[in-house]
Amino acid sequence: MPASTAPEPGEVPDIDLVKRCQAGDTRAFDVLVSRYKGRIYAMTYHMIQNETEAWDLSQEAFIKAWRALPSFKMDSAFYTWLYRITHNVVYDWLRKKKIQGDGEFDDSRTEHRIAAGAEAVPHGDQAPDTALKNAELGRRIQQAIAKLSPEHQQIILLREVEGLAYEEIAAAIPCSLGTVMSRLFYARKKLQELLKDCYENAA
Amino acid sequence: MKTPPEDHDLLRWLDGEMSAAERERFDARLAADPALKAEAGMMQRLSADLRTHLPAELPVPYGDFFNSQIQRRLSQEQEQPAQVPAAAGWLGWLRLQWLAPLGLAAVVIAAGLTTLKQGAPAGGSDTYVHSIYVPNTAVHASTYHSMDAKATVLMLDGLEEMPADRKIVGFNITRGEMDEAVAATTLFDAEDNAVAVISKDARSQPVLLTSSPAR
Repeated sequence: MPASTAPEPGEVPDIDLVKRCQAGDTRAFDVLVSRYKGRIYAMTYHMIQNETEAWDLSQEAFIKAWRALPSFKMDSAFYTWLYRITHNVVYDWLRKKKIQGDGEFDDSRTEHRIAAGAEAVPHGDQAPDTALKNAELGRRIQQAIAKLSPEHQQIILLREVEGLAYEEIAAAIPCSLGTVMSRLFYARKKLQELLKDCYENAA
Repeated sequence: MKTPPEDHDLLRWLDGEMSAAERERFDARLAADPALKAEAGMMQRLSADLRTHLPAELPVPYGDFFNSQIQRRLSQEQEQPAQVPAAAGWLGWLRLQWLAPLGLAAVVIAAGLTTLKQGAPAGGSDTYVHSIYVPNTAVHASTYHSMDAKATVLMLDGLEEMPADRKIVGFNITRGEMDEAVAATTLFDAEDNAVAVISKDARSQPVLLTSSPAR
């Protein structure tokens, strides 16, 4: 669902809920939490791939959003704004993990050392049925996403998972349209390299 | 980092960002360039697989709890300064249902829960945490009750790291007897065993004097 999608019939529009939140109505914020927690959690989970941490960071994102709501001028969609906060929360967390050097986010994950045409994993036997092949592909995709830099993760998730248009992505990050296209291009190239054997086998 | 314009064309074609006329021109290029067509095909498969395997929305584990935790934190932020349990809460200790004597050794953290029976039949499990007292101000305690699971989760934030060999014991307190002569209350479990003796300090806050050995 793109950020600019209109609310479902009968749903209170985000903008009305935001105004109530800005007046201190925590119940209105609860509606927004219910509306977007699945997307925020999914986005966070895809970036860090840890259920517990994703849960906590999603909480933190909503709390920060509540604190920042008084300054939200509604010049972008609420979800775009919320997404930006979430990304900052996750990015800060990843940076702290990197500084702590616990290995979950080290240089090998952020530096782009993958040679063109290199295989990320050796060829394995094909799974015996489609379901298994799909599960394996899903696992490989998760691993490949984890190997991208946070910027490239972000751009892939916003485009491919959230389905945002370039302009919406530029507003969410925020950056220029040229940067969106450039990052998207290189992020896809890296994913292609990381998953090359999957597509060679499938061809 | 710049990307060549032809790569931008491929991206915009792939992402549906081209006008009809641009798309028509690019389709003609694809037809004339097998390498570009193969590249475009692989990009398309990759995009489709990403959408399939990375759902835009995931069920949040303990979704209701997720909401209630946020509401709890918002309430805390709105309550300035943080509330200190009132001395009146002392009476609740007489109905103490559950006590985790965590701080009997080095950890020095104790948490007591006051629960309120709400018409539960004998042996029933419909008990709810009514108030929480945490002597250590560095520790924040909160609870979440799930009607479906018939369970209450106690969360303690700010605990010091606990040694792996530390035993934590919970007591189900069913009644308390106050001895006014010594200003202490003895707490009994369901089998009528005395499991703890509590009193009040100079600030009328509960103090755990002794408890039965861990079992």
